[in-house]
Amino acid sequence: QEEKRLVEYFRTQVRQDPEVPSAVAAIRTLLEFLKRDQSETILGLRENLTQTIRRLEEADSSVAVSSGGELFLRFISLTSLEHPDLSQCKKVMVERGELFLKKISLSRSKVAKLCHTFIKDGAKILTHSSSRVVLKVLESAAADKKRFTVYVTESQPDSAGRQMADKLQNLNIPVTVVLDAAVGYIMEKVDLVIVGAEGVVESGGIINKIGTYQLAVCSKAHNKPFYVVAESFKFVRLYPLNQQDVPERFKYKADTLKAVEDLAEEHPMIDYTPPSLITLIFTDLGVLTPSAVSDELIKLYL
Amino acid sequence: MPGADKETDLTERIEAFLADLKRGGSGTGPLRGSGEMARETTYLLRRITAQARWSSAGDLMEIIRNEGRRMTAAQPSETTVGNMVRRVLKIIREEYARSRGSSEETEQQESLHKLLTAGELSEENFRQHFVHLKANVIEAINELLTELDGTTDNIAMQALEHIHSNEVIMTVGRSRTVEAFLKDAARKRKFHVIVAECAPFCQGHEMATGLSKVGIETTVIADAAIFAVMSRVNKVIIGTQTVLANGGLRAVNGTHSVALAARHHSTPLIICAPMFKLSPQVFTTIFYPFPGSFSYCLPVLREILSKVNVHCPVFDYVPPELITLFISNIGGNAPSYIYRLMSELYHPEDHKL
Repeated sequence: QEEKRLVEYFRTQVRQDPEVPSAVAAIRTLLEFLKRDQSETILGLRENLTQTIRRLEEADSSVAVSSGGELFLRFISLTSLEHPDLSQCKKVMVERGELFLKKISLSRSKVAKLCHTFIKDGAKILTHSSSRVVLKVLESAAADKKRFTVYVTESQPDSAGRQMADKLQNLNIPVTVVLDAAVGYIMEKVDLVIVGAEGVVESGGIINKIGTYQLAVCSKAHNKPFYVVAESFKFVRLYPLNQQDVPERFKYKADTLKAVEDLAEEHPMIDYTPPSLITLIFTDLGVLTPSAVSDELIKLYL
Repeated sequence: MPGADKETDLTERIEAFLADLKRGGSGTGPLRGSGEMARETTYLLRRITAQARWSSAGDLMEIIRNEGRRMTAAQPSETTVGNMVRRVLKIIREEYARSRGSSEETEQQESLHKLLTAGELSEENFRQHFVHLKANVIEAINELLTELDGTTDNIAMQALEHIHSNEVIMTVGRSRTVEAFLKDAARKRKFHVIVAECAPFCQGHEMATGLSKVGIETTVIADAAIFAVMSRVNKVIIGTQTVLANGGLRAVNGTHSVALAARHHSTPLIICAPMFKLSPQVFTTIFYPFPGSFSYCLPVLREILSKVNVHCPVFDYVPPELITLFISNIGGNAPSYIYRLMSELYHPEDHKL
């Protein structure tokens, strides 16, 4: 039931602050777990941690939670290498954990600062579904007195694009919602495409809401730049070569995974966009070309 | 008083340099070629380090950053000036870290690893005073100058690996680096060179004269004939004004068309560019035209001159997908690797001066 309490804590985090990225909520929950944990050894700690991460993934099956969990595990391993004594190790871990949370809460603004210079006056931007990072970028561009128009795809099956359009209208940015099927039609009018990402994979590709791959192929065909904005904690150690390689547990919502027997009947919620279609990735670590992503991951995990 | 004299002497030199930069933009100033520009900038930065009054690394970095900002504002199209300023700033950071005794690797880049393991929100403010810092920085700048002196030779040394006998090489306009490259290969191999003249300044003619003096069989063609001739060409070797952070180029007008023609015929496109041309900028749509020379380049009838808008852009953007290889003084690299070279040359906080 300790685990149930932590899952509740996670859910409350997400409910209280809808702006918080799910990976940050996951890491905050894991830090809370760390404070409450009673294990005597580091191995015990790791085992309990892995169990908790699995529970969290069952609650919210997005890639971001998985990448946040893996990052935290890596964080534990790195810290425990430096301080073999458990109690001292825990103290250092809690300290560093708080610091880490503080730093990554600033990452969205860092990304926005980098990206908004790429939006020129009079630009027409196409984006997909609802991404809080893209919203932040457009917010900073608007605050910089730039004039631009935005097209948002409706993004079925949950019509997330309409929510994005509402938020943009509140910022006084002219916005139009287009059908998912109208992407090819609208592409000739557009100057650039900006999307968020749920996960950035090792090859430099991204995992994002279904429909992103289509958008990328279209923009490549029309020679429009395709920019991705993502915080660095979304980097995940996957290397899919095609759509089928993306693990099943990310493709569908957590409830669907538990309820349905035959997943072949379900519509996947995410797809994979290969790095050859992406022009640049904006992260809080800087502006990266897709080939630079694996470099960052290697620096951390090896 | 000797102190005051040194200071006025320094400011005079800086002002003279800025004036040269401003004139250099119209192609008539004394500073020709980016190599010279880089060398002059580095001499000036060394002089500032030696003569200006500073007590800690932070002060020196502020002074150099301010001067750097003024220099780039004087001539925005010359990116080598900004690049050299950033190199020197990185040198100062490294020497400071070395004096403090901490290993240079950990302090440098932002990375996921650093996010996870950093102890405190370290605000590195470079306030500590070290006695030998000045000498170390000046020595490191001298090393940088030796590197700058040797760039053309280092690039030319690699020529024999890339040019083989009886090949047809195409080049565009005039580049000192490519000229040295081809001349070095000509010592041991026999090959043909086709030079596109690159209107309106037709610098290709000078290039062709230079090459034929060494005994290379050279042909000059008009820019319009580039696509037609491309099917006979084995390699395209060109120089560039700047290499951008994403692996793209800012090169002389017409280079993008050459790159597209080469891609169409699957001809390798090789860029000879020394490391000081690598700039942390990414492609923006603003390129700076040469002022004043319009009436010379296009023979427009005087009667309609007032009714006609003449645009004469000087630079072109070439995306990284069209480029096969970059040959620089440190070796050959793929365009996708440029980001890595950049992280070794410049510190991310210096990207915006």
